[in-house]
Amino acid sequence: MRMEWKHRHVLDLKDWTREEILLLLDQAKNMDDLMDRPIKKVPALRGKLVVNLFFEASTRTRVSFELAEKMLSADVVNWSASGSSVGKGETLRDTAWTLEAMGADAVVIRHGSVGSAHYLAKKLHRASVFNGGDGAYSHPTQALLDAYTAWKHFKNLEGRKISIIGDILHSRVARSDIRVFRELGCEIVLSGPETLMPLDVKALGVSYEPDPRKAVSGSDIVYLLRIQRERQEEGLFPSLDEYYLRFGADLDLVMHAKQEALVMHPGPINRRVEIDSSVADGAQSRILQQVRSGVAVRMALLYLCLGGVMA
Amino acid sequence: MKLREKARLMSETDIERALRRMAHEIVESNKGLKEVVLVGIQRRGVFLANRIREVLRQIEQEKVPTGELDITLYRDDLTLLHDHPVVHSTSMPLDITGKRIILVDDVIYTGRTIRAALDALMDLGRPSVVQLAVLVDRGHRELPVAPNFVGKNVPTSREEVVEVRVTEIDGINEVVICEREA
Amino acid sequence: MILFKNGKIFDGQAFHEGLQDVLVTEGRVDRIGPGIEADGAKRIDLGGKTLSPGFIDLHCHMRDPGFEWREDIRTAAAAAARGGFTTAVSMPNTDPAIDNDALIRYVIEKGKAAGFARVLPAGSVSKGREGKELAEMGKMAEAGCVLFTDDGAPIGSPRLFRTALLYSRDLGVRIMEHPEESSLSKGGHVNEGRCSSLSGLKGMPSSSEEIGVFKAISLCRETGVPVHVTHLSTGRSVHLVREAKKEGVPVTCDVTPHHLCLSEECVIDSGFDSRYKVNPPLRSKRDLEALWEALSDGTVDAIATDHAPWHLDEKDLPFPEAPFGIPSLECAFAAVYTEWLGKGQPFGMERLMALFTKGPASILPKGWSDLGMLAPGSLADLVVIDTDIEDVVSVSSWRSKARISAWEGKSLKGWPVMVFVEGKPVYSQQGEKTK
Repeated sequence: MRMEWKHRHVLDLKDWTREEILLLLDQAKNMDDLMDRPIKKVPALRGKLVVNLFFEASTRTRVSFELAEKMLSADVVNWSASGSSVGKGETLRDTAWTLEAMGADAVVIRHGSVGSAHYLAKKLHRASVFNGGDGAYSHPTQALLDAYTAWKHFKNLEGRKISIIGDILHSRVARSDIRVFRELGCEIVLSGPETLMPLDVKALGVSYEPDPRKAVSGSDIVYLLRIQRERQEEGLFPSLDEYYLRFGADLDLVMHAKQEALVMHPGPINRRVEIDSSVADGAQSRILQQVRSGVAVRMALLYLCLGGVMA
Repeated sequence: MKLREKARLMSETDIERALRRMAHEIVESNKGLKEVVLVGIQRRGVFLANRIREVLRQIEQEKVPTGELDITLYRDDLTLLHDHPVVHSTSMPLDITGKRIILVDDVIYTGRTIRAALDALMDLGRPSVVQLAVLVDRGHRELPVAPNFVGKNVPTSREEVVEVRVTEIDGINEVVICEREA
Repeated sequence: MILFKNGKIFDGQAFHEGLQDVLVTEGRVDRIGPGIEADGAKRIDLGGKTLSPGFIDLHCHMRDPGFEWREDIRTAAAAAARGGFTTAVSMPNTDPAIDNDALIRYVIEKGKAAGFARVLPAGSVSKGREGKELAEMGKMAEAGCVLFTDDGAPIGSPRLFRTALLYSRDLGVRIMEHPEESSLSKGGHVNEGRCSSLSGLKGMPSSSEEIGVFKAISLCRETGVPVHVTHLSTGRSVHLVREAKKEGVPVTCDVTPHHLCLSEECVIDSGFDSRYKVNPPLRSKRDLEALWEALSDGTVDAIATDHAPWHLDEKDLPFPEAPFGIPSLECAFAAVYTEWLGKGQPFGMERLMALFTKGPASILPKGWSDLGMLAPGSLADLVVIDTDIEDVVSVSSWRSKARISAWEGKSLKGWPVMVFVEGKPVYSQQGEKTK
């Protein structure tokens, strides 16, 4: 079966249709099976150069991309730029042109500035850009691996309810997950302190419920976001302890969801802040499956976007 | 690219008879079915492998393990394609190391698909023998690959296309030859 | 002597009947009427095109002295002329800040030497624009400054604002306030609302501007000294000004072309292109509509560009890293005219034209108040506008040093084709085409 895959880049999920997401999930399934083989390698991207350009510290996402790239036999270069991109050293524009000159076929970028992946894509004529996270806007591969994890379990996501608890305001994971799950037909409720919510939740197509127990009621998936210490230091909520008391996912909170509900978290988890160990390590948790899904989903994206673009 | 059907090469009955003969040849060549595993190449090869397995069950009263192999990720022409072939599933019922593999495909042409299939098989294990069964051999090999069991030899020109149709996908069992329309 | 024949004459407030002629002698408008003849005068047949007083821009960042790689007085004046502006007020957020009479004279001289649009300097309210002590407002007024402003930032404290108002009452030079409550807007990049919610970029709430406007109106009311609030971007802001005017408070205001034509949707739709980054930010569609209503009912006195040029390397960055500012001198009128057409001409053209002419002129000190008028005796600052030409904006061909603008690639109608300052030609589209 042949089909047109029209995305050269994966910057955000704004224009992805339901059909495209489902195709991606289907392809991820076949990539997933590769991980059970004795030889976890196929030659599909042999000779392609992929550069991992990580301006923000990240082990999990970078390693996950790296595994996916290597399993497809691509050549991998890791370019970590520690320190901020504001005026220190080379500008992103110059970095882009350098990468192009080096012959990169794909660049995976994680950067603190919203729109940095879009910016890079505008500057590159040939290479594909994969957004590994840009500020608080988008983390499309995370959302797709979350969708894959849920889809593998439920098979059909239409009409399901998802509650997302935590710091939505600063979360690219939340924004991307909202996009992907809405496109797949889910209903989404947000919860957490109002100081950590965006002003216009309607614009996102979701609703807000300040009481997490109410928010979680009837949910098929309880999705927890990481709480960052910096937000507490900014004065947006008084203490991590109080956060855990009001919004932390312990067995009591999760009990309010459906009995077969899944618990998900993008990782790394803060035990006793947004989630209790009994839940993180419990039967409903899909946190480790999400990690495995990440490699499969990223392989599928690399294959679809990089194969056969040049005639 | 539009195709115009020129002629029917094999009817449903012709296909059945060919597969029956090939199944007998497989038993003869392998002196029985010990360690034999059928591996159908996605997509139509899978259905043909299932039919061969059914015939083998009838004639030897043995259930031959059957697997599916997707070779998309091993193709040598991925960078040249404009459209992206979708990847289908690969699943083996057992470890293929030490087994006698019968690769099954619908048509052999340049031989590149079989080369990719061999690479894929080697990444899955170390078979003791690999043999190839195809329903149609249409000539024009570009690599030194030869089938062991052939349903029908059909001389063709490069402008022609041989289509094997199976009920599971196309609603009918037949083999037709088509011509590319200008 | 120039004789303009067959033009649609706009006098600053209204259009003259039919097509008329205008005779210009020694830099001033001599006569207006049908069928004028004058021997020895250069004849220019307008063929029905609009002849208007030259536009006046109250708010233009010329970056000179100190930041000349972004723009200088010469290029800004040339850009202004190309946009139909015969007068442009330069902002004092330069390096050093224009907080003394020597620099006021510097700006005036450099503008005169350039020979394009007239450049009138604004001086800062506080020394060094630091928001702590009063600058030498008296000396600056004497030297020819036409507005006081700490723009780029609001005046440092309500106390300083009030003191400045009382001190400057008799100088006849208005204070222009950039309304913003910094503790609310600090760190923000876009409108707090749809844009910030969808993009994850920190938002600058509407209340920040509203509080700034409220503060200005409050002090204006109490002291009775006129105040001008600049680049209003929200429905709440214009509402406050409307109510204050009803009460008789001497407050005036302007809005920018970009706030009239572009909304916060541009930020996400463009893939976070920094050309749309500006302070105050592009707001919601509702705010945009509210601004047009305020143009319609006379709440807004003037359209001012807030022309903010940056060097390409400084502006071509990922959105949160880029500085704020949209340059627009050369297409400001065309942008607003096109939007006005697109909205189905919500009010008469004379109202639109007044916002570029008499409206801004009325904010300037009395000595300049006959700018923005086309009447016998007024200075021959004129612009000929062809309302039929449609052209695509190409920033690379601008006289301004700016090379990125939100207007790039936009197809606009209504362009100035000839511009005169005191009867002297400073721009001609024809001349440019033949180069």
